[in-house]
Amino acid sequence: MKRQEFYLKLADALEITSTTLSSNTILSDIDEYDSMGVMGIIAFVDENFDVKLNAKQIASITDLDSLINLIGLGKIEE
Amino acid sequence: MKIEYYLPETILSNDDLFLQFEGFESAKVELKLGIMERHIASDNETALDMAYIASLKVLEGYDKNKIGFILFCTQSPDYYLPTTACILQNMLSLPSNIGALDYNLGCSGFVYGLSLAKALISSKICEEVLLVTSETYSKHIHPSDRANRSIFGDGATATILSSTDINKIFNFELGTDGRGKDNLIVKNGAFRNKIQTELLHEKDENGIFVSNNHLYMNGPEIFNFTIENIPNVVKTTLEKNNLSLDTIDYIIFHQANKYMLEYLRKKIKIPESKFYNNILTTGNTVSSTIPIAIKECLNNYTINKGDKVLLAGFGVGYSWAATVIEI
Repeated sequence: MKRQEFYLKLADALEITSTTLSSNTILSDIDEYDSMGVMGIIAFVDENFDVKLNAKQIASITDLDSLINLIGLGKIEE
Repeated sequence: MKIEYYLPETILSNDDLFLQFEGFESAKVELKLGIMERHIASDNETALDMAYIASLKVLEGYDKNKIGFILFCTQSPDYYLPTTACILQNMLSLPSNIGALDYNLGCSGFVYGLSLAKALISSKICEEVLLVTSETYSKHIHPSDRANRSIFGDGATATILSSTDINKIFNFELGTDGRGKDNLIVKNGAFRNKIQTELLHEKDENGIFVSNNHLYMNGPEIFNFTIENIPNVVKTTLEKNNLSLDTIDYIIFHQANKYMLEYLRKKIKIPESKFYNNILTTGNTVSSTIPIAIKECLNNYTINKGDKVLLAGFGVGYSWAATVIEI
């Protein structure tokens, strides 16, 4: 998946309308990101990358680069 | 299979929660979790009280002397001892020459109960079983825990199973993985850990509300367990019964929350028209969600005589159970 597509699909999964996502976006700063957003992240990563993120990994996410690192850098095309 | 259910009179709506919790998003809870309101047992109303009412409803016009066993599924019993099922036997004036036991399971409890009832009737230990599910999870939840208060509702169901019914209950897929014990737990109050008088309630490293005297649920881990296991449980259940998804008329999973169920539905590729997803006015009633759903589907003719319905319950333990029934 290309990086831009990743941001668009993630925004769609989290139903984010307040922010344009980029590598520096801090997940916890997004208004729409809450406990239901956590389910959204788990589902998004499972569906698109077949990767399971556990609760500790989810809690460790800061910016979106850190999410991409958890998914695996090779899975996102530049 | 004759089913009745009872929901407590008190209703806790999203608007009520909005008044209690700053920033509570009623519309989002309804849209994402699929819950608008839930019924909550009053302070002096217990799982036994609710089970009694549900049982009276199902036994109305029925020859009580046919019941040979009470199976009572609960994780919020009235007492450590005696067994709730024994007290229910007396309250219902059922004969004394019957078996009765409680079993401690959550969301897998109803389907587990079907497997136990089938075994009891097939082995001629009894002819008919009264299967009861009843939970007051609200009493396990800390008043400040808005996530769990949003999700769970109280309720009870009672089902009568006869030899005719069990012939229409097919093969089971049961499963257990105790590695998940810490992800849905009430840690204190039994004999491993005493109730803490200086109550600690804070957030864990994942930002999830914790009070060890109360219900703790690690939602992300429960979601992970579900999406990792349930697709395969469905596959195995179908294989054990020589059936395919196409030959199943309807599917009822434990009604955990709308978002999780919708994700599972898509992942397993179940058509929307064959899939139950409705806890709008009940919330997650734990072991009662599946029998409530069956009853509702029978009432509105979503499922009809001859239909094959796949049931799957999963959750606390971890524990899961699935089967196919013919209506």
